Parts: sequence; structure tokens; C-alpha cells
Amino acid sequence: MTRRELWTPNRRDLLRMLGVGGAAVGASSLLAACGLGTGGGDTATDNGAAEVTGGFDWRKAEGTEISVLQTPHPYQVAFQPLLAEFTELTGITVRADLVAEADYFTRLNTELASGAGNYDAFMTGAYFIWTYGPPGWMEDLKPWLENSSATNADYDFEDIYEGLRRSTSWDFKVGSPLGTGGQWAIPWGFETNVLCYNKAEFDRRGIRPAETFDDLIQLATDLTDRANNKYGIAFRGSRSWATIHPGFMTQFTREGCQDYTLQGGQLAATMNSPEAVDFTRKWVELARSAGPTSWTNYEYPDCTGDLGAGTAMMVYDADSATYPQNIAGNSAQAGNLAWHPGPAGADGSYATNLWTWSLAMNSASQKKLAAWLFIQWATGKDAQTKAVQTGQAGFADPTRASVFDGAFQQTLGGFPGYQETFEKVIGSTDIKFTPQTQFFETTEEWAVALQDIYAGQDAKTRLDALAAANTTAVNRAS
Amino acid sequence: MTTAAPPRAPESARPRAPRPVPAWRRGLRPYLLSIPAVLIIVGILYPFVLGAYYAFLNYAAVVRRPSFVGLANFAEILSDPTFWASVRVTLFYAVAATVIETVLGVGIALLLNRSSLIGRVFERVLILPLMIAPVIAGVIWGLMFNPQFGVLNHVLGLGSTFDWLGEDTAIWSVILVDVWIFTPFVAILVLAGIRSLPKEPFEASAVDGASWFYMFRRLMLPMMWPYILVAVIFRFMDSLKIFDHVYVLTAGGPGDATRTLQIGAYQNSIIQLQYSQGSTYMFLLWVIVFLTARYLVSVLGKAQRRAAGSED
Repeated sequence: MTRRELWTPNRRDLLRMLGVGGAAVGASSLLAACGLGTGGGDTATDNGAAEVTGGFDWRKAEGTEISVLQTPHPYQVAFQPLLAEFTELTGITVRADLVAEADYFTRLNTELASGAGNYDAFMTGAYFIWTYGPPGWMEDLKPWLENSSATNADYDFEDIYEGLRRSTSWDFKVGSPLGTGGQWAIPWGFETNVLCYNKAEFDRRGIRPAETFDDLIQLATDLTDRANNKYGIAFRGSRSWATIHPGFMTQFTREGCQDYTLQGGQLAATMNSPEAVDFTRKWVELARSAGPTSWTNYEYPDCTGDLGAGTAMMVYDADSATYPQNIAGNSAQAGNLAWHPGPAGADGSYATNLWTWSLAMNSASQKKLAAWLFIQWATGKDAQTKAVQTGQAGFADPTRASVFDGAFQQTLGGFPGYQETFEKVIGSTDIKFTPQTQFFETTEEWAVALQDIYAGQDAKTRLDALAAANTTAVNRAS
Repeated sequence: MTTAAPPRAPESARPRAPRPVPAWRRGLRPYLLSIPAVLIIVGILYPFVLGAYYAFLNYAAVVRRPSFVGLANFAEILSDPTFWASVRVTLFYAVAATVIETVLGVGIALLLNRSSLIGRVFERVLILPLMIAPVIAGVIWGLMFNPQFGVLNHVLGLGSTFDWLGEDTAIWSVILVDVWIFTPFVAILVLAGIRSLPKEPFEASAVDGASWFYMFRRLMLPMMWPYILVAVIFRFMDSLKIFDHVYVLTAGGPGDATRTLQIGAYQNSIIQLQYSQGSTYMFLLWVIVFLTARYLVSVLGKAQRRAAGSED
């Protein structure tokens, strides 16, 4: 009988077998665990609104402690001192965790994907609903709004600007417009993307803001004086989806362009239409001739910082981002700034894209009533009015018409053109993007295309390639 | 005659014969001793196996129930020009940064290999960049690169029109930051190697009238070579996986000019929430790093044997 026929394992063989067996068991259990680990969205619980019955009472969840994930922002800063009042009103304690904006959505993604429900409520932007909603990570707040046992009769949801309410609602079906389906977040603060300019410099030169896009290009170019470190206009240009949504998307829409159209039940990218190519070419030329030298790295703090320092003569970005630069002590140009709606489209359109910081509820929360009471309070008239009156960096812009027309207008004495600009654009302000679940991927690719055109690539060729790639991406089976 | 019997030691004071350890316990001991190592290996392998597993799914934020898709992610990514652009950027970055850091690091080590007060002070100052987190270094250099108010354009008289992070310049600027952070690492490693070299061959050569250059080329360099290679391996592996300061400075732009594989993986996984696509990027990067490491380690082994005189 040979050794091969009668195998007697030695210690080394046994160790090897143990190792292999352990690895196999470990790997199989790992992979099984992985299967569970990928299904964070499946942990979403049913909507909790139906469980709330009886009359409305702020103290229905008394004694509860909720966790809220937030990012440091003037809105959050304005509300932090008011949390004690919320606790006094409801008996609910709020533990607010702050994560810097640069890392905020990374943290939020991880938290929501885990399905752990560590945070009951969180700050979010409207575009994120298109990603967080389909896997079931967010609680639909419409049943909560419609439940009189859970929502105060004085809440007055319709007081929130219509464009904002529509922008935070969608049914997640390809081709459906915003405003359909659930209400996934309640707008808390928002911004319109308009022009802010150095009025002192404009007055000194005896000039006024441009009313058409071609005039804006000419004006910004004329104001550019590289030798003296001054340039005409700042707007975002970094490799990020956030480059597209403020000034670019606003003017893109005003010039009659669209990002996608619905064709045969599928979305087709149209950012390569003749008018879009023409607009994009002009926009990039504006960046080249009158924008910041390092445009491809510019984010909103760079833009508003240059405006405040007197380096940039205009900024085409969020009104709420330029607002703090005009508060005494915040910048060298404080008191010198003014606002303008920006160029109208050929048809007189002041269509304006918005960003809203909203409050949403984690569907995996175990304290949904307390979370809803917090969201309801923070987006209510009283708390928002107090935030406007006491916020250290202001509260631009409140999402409620009554608060804007009341408390907020009283703060606008030293902000020439702010109110007029707001009133001119608010009726046509909402999200101008077509809602779709691949928003971040496709919109970042759009920003990359702008950078490539800025670097010298042909606009038509590059936008054709972008449109083809984005059409595939947005219709990708999910 | 009788002799008294020696007094017996009390029972408790008598040395006790060791109790025989049962055979099953003796046999179990090696397995118990190996448990910590097994746990560590599982701990290390867990994220890797998980990441590799994700590369074969269609796992993304918008996919409720991920399913097995075989090699579809690999096929998609390997046919994507953006991926290959990232491979080119990553390899260029790693080669350029490693070469520059090695040349500068060896030069600095040779200059510091003299015991002087200035040398000792410089040695300590040299490691300061290594103490700064690369993310912080990215923020600092980002401010210095700013054309409007950055110190570099001002000091170099470039006005406000030179863009350090433009399409053609960004890759060199991020390499410059890498060189600033990691050249001291190479210098210190090589310096330690130089100081451990035997003095006798150099003294004998000096007696024979050999020139400094001859001694450097024929003696010092061959003996230093293993230390240089260790530094090269560390830096090259690290550069292939570069992310932090590059992301802070450019986020991979302009266009795809500085989009390394790590940044591609981050953008897929964290920004776009396409977890499987990001995992596939990471898996392919691992393959590149693994193959390169294997090759460089074999080169190091040869160099060590040559330096020891066991191989021609």
C-alpha cells in the first residue's frame, strides 16, 4: 500500500487543512453576509404616519431623544440656539451631529445605506432625493402632512413656495416630472441663482448690470483687468455636478435649452442641441475671457470670496451665498454689493434653478413621530421667523412666503436689489433638471465636458459624446 | 552500626514531578497559538473579499436587490476610455513622482552624510512635511497655487494669469506636492542605508588613490542600491494608490487630467453611489499594484544578493 493510498496527515497537513477549511467557512459566511450588507434599502420600515391617532399635541413624543445629522451652514447656525425652545415645547431632546459640507453626503450616504437608523432626521438637498428615495431610505412625508393627528392645523404647508414643494416631490419614474409622488423632504432654506455685483465699482464706472447674455459677456470682459488682479465674473467650474446647477443651469434654461427630453418612454440627452452647443460655447468663452484664472477649480466659496475681496466684479451663483458677503465685517466689500436677476432669455424668461436645504426623515428611524415633530417645528412659521431675526449669518432665503414677506424683508435694507431680484425670479424658480436617478454621475460628466471644452476641445463634438453617454446612463436598468 | 535515616522532606517541599500533559492538549496547542494570526488574517481579508465580491454584483444605491452579474462590470470598465485615461494618469504620476523623489532623496542623503551642525539641524527639519497629513498639505498648496492671492504667483512674478492647476499644469503641480511631502522619506531611508555601510572598502579605495566619483559609482552606489530600491518600492506602491492631496487640489480635473484610479473608484462609489463599479476600479488597481509589487520585490531580492556578493 503506498503513502498516497493510506494518507496519514501530520501536524502541518492538519494546520493547512484547518486554514483552508476556515477560509472556506469564513468566505462563505462573508459572502452570505455581503448579500445582507448590500440590502440596506430593504431594511426600510413602513410609513409611520398611520400609527399616530387622536388630536394633535406637540408633547406626544415627550421624553424622546432624536439624532439629527446636519452640516455647518447659516441655516443650522441660526437654528442651533433655538433647539432649547423646541425641547421646551415638545419635551423632545435633539442631538445634532455636524459633519463638514465636503464630507457631509459621504457620511449621509453611508448612514442611510446601512439601514441602521442611527439618525432620525437629516439635512438634504433636493437632488439627493432622486438617489435616496428609490432604495426606500427616506420616509414619505405626505402621509404625515395629511394626518391631522400628527400635523398642527396651523402648519400651512402651502405657505412654502410652490416651486420648492414641487422640487422635493417625485414618483421616481423615468420621465415623470417633479411634483408627482411622495413628499420626500420639507424645504427649510433655499437659494435662487442670480447675479450679485460690486455696485460701488459699477456706480464709479457709471454702468449697470447686463440684461442679455451677450451683453453680460461683453460687460464681464470689459471689467476684466488681469494686470490689476481683477476679473469680470466668477462662477463655478470645478469637476463636480455642483458646477452645473447654479449659474450655468439657470442661464442654460433661460436660453431655451433642456437637459433631457422624453422620447418613447426613455430619456434622451439634449445638452448637445444646437442652442445648447451655442450657449455652452459662449459660457466657456465667458469663463476664459472674464472668469477666474483657475476656473476649473472654482467652487462657490472661491467665487463669493473673490467678490467679497473685490477681485471679482460679479458672481453668478446662489443669492444666499453672496448675501453674507454684504454683512458688515464679513468681507472687504461689505456694503458695496447689490443683486440683479441676471440676463433674461431671448423670450424674456427669468427661469431660475434653485437649491434647497431640506429636512428629511430616515425611513429606518425608530422615533418617527418625534422626528416629524422636529421637522414640522423647524420648517414652521414661528421657528423660521425667529431664525431670520436671530441668525448670526442671516437666514437667506426662508422657504415660507409669509416669513420672506415679513421678517426677512425687514433685514434687506442694506441689500440693494435683493428683494426686487427675488420677486422677479421666484415665480419661475424651481429645479430645472429633469429628475433621474443617475443625476450625480451624469451631471458630473457634464462638468467634465465643460472643463474639456475650456481646455480646447470642440464644443459640438464633446457635447455629442456627453449626450450619448448620458442617454445610456439615465436609461440604465436599475 | 546503625545510621539514622536522613529526615524526609515534608511532602509540600519536595519538587513535584511535572504532571503529564494529556496528548490531546499537546496536540491542540499549536492550533490555539495560531488563532490570533487567523483572526488577523480574516480581519485583513474581510474588506478585500467583500470588495472583490461587490465587483461581481450590480450593487448601487438605486438597486434595491443587487444580483450577480459575472464579469459585466469588468467588461464595461475595461471598454471605457475614461478608465484607461485613469490608468495612464496613475502610472505617469507614480513613475514621475518616484523618479523625482528618488533622485532628490538620494542627493539630499549624500549631502547630509557628513556630520555637521547644519546637517543635523537639516535632518530634523527635513521630516516636517512627512508630519503633515497629505489632505492638509493639499489645502496649504491649494492656497499657494491660487492665481488671485496665492504666494507662488506673487513670488515668482507670474501675475494672476498663470494657472498651476490648469489642463496642462495640474499633473505636474500635484506631483510637486507629492515630491514636497515624500522626498524626505526617501532621503531619510537612504541616509540610514549609507550610514550602515562598512567603512573599510572606502578606506582601502582611498589608500589606493580612487577618486570620489569612482568610489561613489563602484562602491557606494552598488551597496546603497538595496536601500534605494526599498524606498522606490514604498514610494511607487504608495503613488499608485494616490488619492488625498490630488483630490483636495483638483478632484481629478480639469477634465480627467489628474483622475487617478483611486479617485475614479471614489467618484464611482461615493459620489455616484455605484458601489460595484467603484469596487471593480479598486480590484483592477489591486491587480496593478500586486503585479508591480511582485516584480519590484524580485528586483530587490536580486539587488540584495548582488550587494552581498552572492550573485554577479
